[in-house]
Amino acid sequence: MRAYPYQRLPGVVSLRVTSVELRGPDDIRDPLDTSAFSAVEQVVAPGSSERDDWEWLRMKVSATVPGRATAPDGPWTDLAVVVVLSEGATNTRITTALTPGAEGGRQWVGQLDLWRADHLDRATMSVHVVATVDGVAGREIAASTKDWIVDLKAEAPLRGRELDVVEVGFREGPEWLRGFHEIPWAVDTSGDLPVVHLNTDFEGVSDLIGGNGTSVDNMVRDLLLAQMCTDVWTAVFHTAIGDLEIEDDGTPLFPRDWRGEVLREMLPDVVPGLPVEDALGEVHRRRTGTSGWTDLQPRIHYAATRRADVPKVLSTSIRGLEGIHRGTDA
Amino acid sequence: MTDKPNHLPERLALLADLNAARYLTDGLLSGKENAQAIALNKVTEPLPHDGESRAELAPVRDLIDDAMYKFRDDRPTNADAWLAPRLHAALRLTRREAADRRIWNYLALGVAPDYVVWRHLVAKSQGDAPKVAAARFRGPAYTQAFSRLWWAAELYRDGPDYGPVVTACGNQEMLNTALRMDVIEHRPTAQAMVRLIGRGTVTSTREAIAMAAAINASAATLMYDVVAPDAERDGKPLRQWIEEAESAPAVPRRDLPTGPYEEKTPERSVDVLVDHFAELFAEAPVRGRTDAEEETGAEV
Repeated sequence: MRAYPYQRLPGVVSLRVTSVELRGPDDIRDPLDTSAFSAVEQVVAPGSSERDDWEWLRMKVSATVPGRATAPDGPWTDLAVVVVLSEGATNTRITTALTPGAEGGRQWVGQLDLWRADHLDRATMSVHVVATVDGVAGREIAASTKDWIVDLKAEAPLRGRELDVVEVGFREGPEWLRGFHEIPWAVDTSGDLPVVHLNTDFEGVSDLIGGNGTSVDNMVRDLLLAQMCTDVWTAVFHTAIGDLEIEDDGTPLFPRDWRGEVLREMLPDVVPGLPVEDALGEVHRRRTGTSGWTDLQPRIHYAATRRADVPKVLSTSIRGLEGIHRGTDA
Repeated sequence: MTDKPNHLPERLALLADLNAARYLTDGLLSGKENAQAIALNKVTEPLPHDGESRAELAPVRDLIDDAMYKFRDDRPTNADAWLAPRLHAALRLTRREAADRRIWNYLALGVAPDYVVWRHLVAKSQGDAPKVAAARFRGPAYTQAFSRLWWAAELYRDGPDYGPVVTACGNQEMLNTALRMDVIEHRPTAQAMVRLIGRGTVTSTREAIAMAAAINASAATLMYDVVAPDAERDGKPLRQWIEEAESAPAVPRRDLPTGPYEEKTPERSVDVLVDHFAELFAEAPVRGRTDAEEETGAEV
């Protein structure tokens, strides 16, 4: 818990995107279908629209703030409710102030414009309640706890990332893949986002991964996918931790792109019981220090395996196999 | 010393991290070898805007040549303030394009490895052979040799005015420390910091570190966006500026170039923050400042 030198507003502050409209050349106004943004996942995915020529989008948003904020006997004056949209990878931050709507000050509404050229991947959106407290203007007295995401790369509004799989023949493909022509896939973590290259020269593998065959085929496919995901999670963790920016006093910083996202997600499993900032320092010390890195490997493996859903997929497959055996024995 | 590449194609390109890694040899990093220009250009990918004038390589290379010539008898550090705005105006990128590390990898390895060595070759400690950190060729945005200059120009410019960029880049910590902080994404905050440097309130690099730290800490409870609101973001001037690249003359060497005609940072917002930051800075502990409470005698 952080301590604040002034009174904060207790209760839940939440944000909702109520409509999204794509804008483009020749005054295009194309409202996004409600399936393009999800209130459950809290994700907006403009990529789910057919249209790719949009230049900016306008979101109508609505925030719910505890009624106490505007109570006349409260310690807060000059109340403002602001929505902040930001993306670390492009150093972009835009804000918009909402105006009080109906429901006696609990509901605040407004709109926010996002310019496509300002963003690369995922922008996050949060709402902040700001007021003058004890004579100091601009104090943040409350904020939403779960961010909304505007995902410019996804085709569906999902919080979890879908694995980017590229099918390519390794033998004739990009130079770095040629040496790997005997293996079914390779993970590349060097770009904007991690990518799995699936080797089409490995006979049958793309059919197996892409296909929807018999129940046995599907079980093998799911196992393979889980294995692939484990590889990806392990690789992205190592990439992220190996490419940290270090402060002068030796404190490592969270990367501002997907690498940071990966670390924040996996660190609680790698170093349990520590706040993520401390966990990052610990892992970095172990990697660069003389000992402790080896001991960490099982934990990294654990974190990756969990995220790749290996236990669930494997037990489903085992049960499935049992069913098949029983069927053939009978 | 590393030379200018013996093969320079006509267009700029993209070089993936993985491919860049192969050319970051010890010989290059210690400034003893040249980059393998021909091999390297075989593994590049074209820019998304390959067909546009702003993808031409020669204007960028010429600019870098001029920077190295102009500062040949000077400290290479001083070239930053000259090159940052001009590189920004020569490339005319969107933030989306600039966030792609591959273009910076290519500039460093394919276009001007000699500049990276000239600017960033340092001996870590006395007696060590001088070396360039690999991250200056291929690394995070605020460390990579060219991307740090571009982002400094992007975040410190005031609409079309690159003046504040020159002031900011005159203090290395505005590039090293401040550029990494989230608060810098708020234009009035960036402009207020630059103004404190321009006025001479903040002078040394240590003072810049102290100021940046104090501003960052204060941002945890104060929302600068509300106290000092910025103008609404409009992407049209940038698009227009990029389109104008087709007919734009070479970037001026003597005068500052002109950036996209975006609305300038509201003066009142900058003023509010200048006062607030000046107060914060007056109370901030500065390493080596005699009146500071936390004096560390360790620094020389």
